[in-house]
Amino acid sequence: MRQTPGKVLAVVAGVVVLAPGCAPDTSTAEGEYRVAVLAASAQNGYNQAVYDGVVAGAEELGLTVDVKILDGGFDSTTQLSQLQTAATVGGYDGVIVVPHDGPSLAGAFPLANSVPVITVLNPIGPDVDDMEPQVEGVVSTVAVPPSDAAARQAEGVVDHCADLDPCKVTLVVGDLSSPLDIARRDAYRGVLGEHANIEVVSTVEGNYDRYQSLTAVSNSLQSNRDVDVILASADQMTLGAELALENAGIAPESVYLTGGGGTTEAVRAVREGRWTANYLNFPVSMGAAAMEQLANAMTGRPVETVVNADTVGPEGVEPYATRETLAGPEAEDFTGEWNG
Amino acid sequence: MTAITAETQRKAPVRPLLLAKDHAVLILLAAVVVWLSVASPAFFTSANILNILNQNAPLAIIAAAGTFVIVSGNFDLSTASIFAVASVCAAWLAVETGNPLLALVAAPVVGMVLGALNGLVVASLRIHSFLATLASSMVYSALAVLITGGALITVDVDGFADFGRGSFLGVFIPVWVLAAVVAALWFLLSGTVFGRHVFATGGNAEAAELSGIRADRVKVLVFVLSGLAAGIAAAIAVSRISSGQPQAGAGMELQAIAAIILGGTSIHGGVGAVWRSVAGVFLIALVGNGFDIMNFNPQLKDLVTGLIILAAVALAAVGRRRR
Repeated sequence: MRQTPGKVLAVVAGVVVLAPGCAPDTSTAEGEYRVAVLAASAQNGYNQAVYDGVVAGAEELGLTVDVKILDGGFDSTTQLSQLQTAATVGGYDGVIVVPHDGPSLAGAFPLANSVPVITVLNPIGPDVDDMEPQVEGVVSTVAVPPSDAAARQAEGVVDHCADLDPCKVTLVVGDLSSPLDIARRDAYRGVLGEHANIEVVSTVEGNYDRYQSLTAVSNSLQSNRDVDVILASADQMTLGAELALENAGIAPESVYLTGGGGTTEAVRAVREGRWTANYLNFPVSMGAAAMEQLANAMTGRPVETVVNADTVGPEGVEPYATRETLAGPEAEDFTGEWNG
Repeated sequence: MTAITAETQRKAPVRPLLLAKDHAVLILLAAVVVWLSVASPAFFTSANILNILNQNAPLAIIAAAGTFVIVSGNFDLSTASIFAVASVCAAWLAVETGNPLLALVAAPVVGMVLGALNGLVVASLRIHSFLATLASSMVYSALAVLITGGALITVDVDGFADFGRGSFLGVFIPVWVLAAVVAALWFLLSGTVFGRHVFATGGNAEAAELSGIRADRVKVLVFVLSGLAAGIAAAIAVSRISSGQPQAGAGMELQAIAAIILGGTSIHGGVGAVWRSVAGVFLIALVGNGFDIMNFNPQLKDLVTGLIILAAVALAAVGRRRR
């Protein structure tokens, strides 16, 4: 319910921003481009970092680009409307989307006008693990299959558990009504389930929220104080899990604690040894990579249909980070590309 | 005399269904406690009970104060937004001043001011509280985003986390705060003239006015209380996680209203009690706790919570029909 006003505002804001484009292209001088960044939520640190990357990427390419960010308010319908409007009356030369719900957003395609669309973080289409463009109009995806990333996280747990029997694991996933999080959970279970010594004692939802994760993990610890591993899919939830451990009188560093996202807090926690590992994301670099592909599309050059988001970060920074990898000569100055 | 007789006749036979109607939330609360105690040895332990109380202190505080708003015949849809603004203000002040006390005291003050604005809009402009607080929630949410720029404010100031995570005599400080707030609000609603004015205003505002009650002032005060409670809850939450974020508390206003109604307070105003709302909060909380400690499929949590709310409402409705 609380999101409703936000949704209304987002739609109104979208119309206001898009309205000047009712006469497409008239305001664009030659050699200048208009790009819309459709954020799942403009109030979210990750999305803001992608936007920053798009702006920085355009500057790096030497292009004159007018970049507008639209707030999807974490709502599929709002974002779908924004995409349709941007492609019809928006007057944009290209669109970069951070989908809130990739499968739902597929309903906007094919777009009324042929505007190249780049998707970042998640694909647009029914298969959350298929990075190749699934609908006509999407020209490139800058992402990593969530199941692959989750499996890599789980493999780190397997290594840690090698000498433990049983090795008790708590999974903290985002929202199990989302196909993305179901894919992650299934990937975790798939990898961990192959090892008889590993026991998943609890699976809780953290809803990408530190407070909700604190609550859920605190509850789980009531019956599983001897947990060896807490594997979370997002850093906000790992931070909540860390607080839950502290509240329960358990030193976080005594547990294999890991998350995903690569926030500045996560990078610091791994460096300080409070967390064992972290799956780093590079949203600023991903935004820049998306802008590069969009520029290719807008200028008629070849486009890479899939850009592996794990490869776009700073040189020498291993995405599946541990204290050791972050101590490397090329990674020692890396502090994370976003916080949230 | 006739009324007294009718009331006496109504109360004389304490029929089971009447009891069920009046105490549906307690009956279900007891049933869930018994079931969870049998199902999991980890449930009925002092550690877990304190854990549940501690976790849900912010929501219970908001619901306790929200009872005044509902009993007075109003709605407050802005509590989550007030919670967010108070959270980010506290975090911002802590970072800027390095003074944790000042920052944490600011949260309830901010909450009270925003609550007063709600009350003034409702009372002076004669706008229905549902619409007024829906609009103000949008304004306050935007304010929270503007304060933070949409980003997270991480607080690394000594002493800031003590309020949300510290304990006194083995009990978490938020649980003490919850007990104090609930006791004070319970007394205020059921033991003072102001409380009776709240009931009268919610029962029939015009009749209350004709009886000499300044209903507008009552409305302003109940929104002040609601804002104050949201601010206290925010102080606990922001201290607990040492960070302020503009999306903090999303959905909390509906959780609080659901708990208040689940407890048995009338959505039409004029009837209700603080203890009922607190019981409603903990009934819903027990479901979440039970799912987590017994590792049930989280995808079923909303289903079970919804069924329990329906059961409570149905129990109350059956009693009402028989009555």
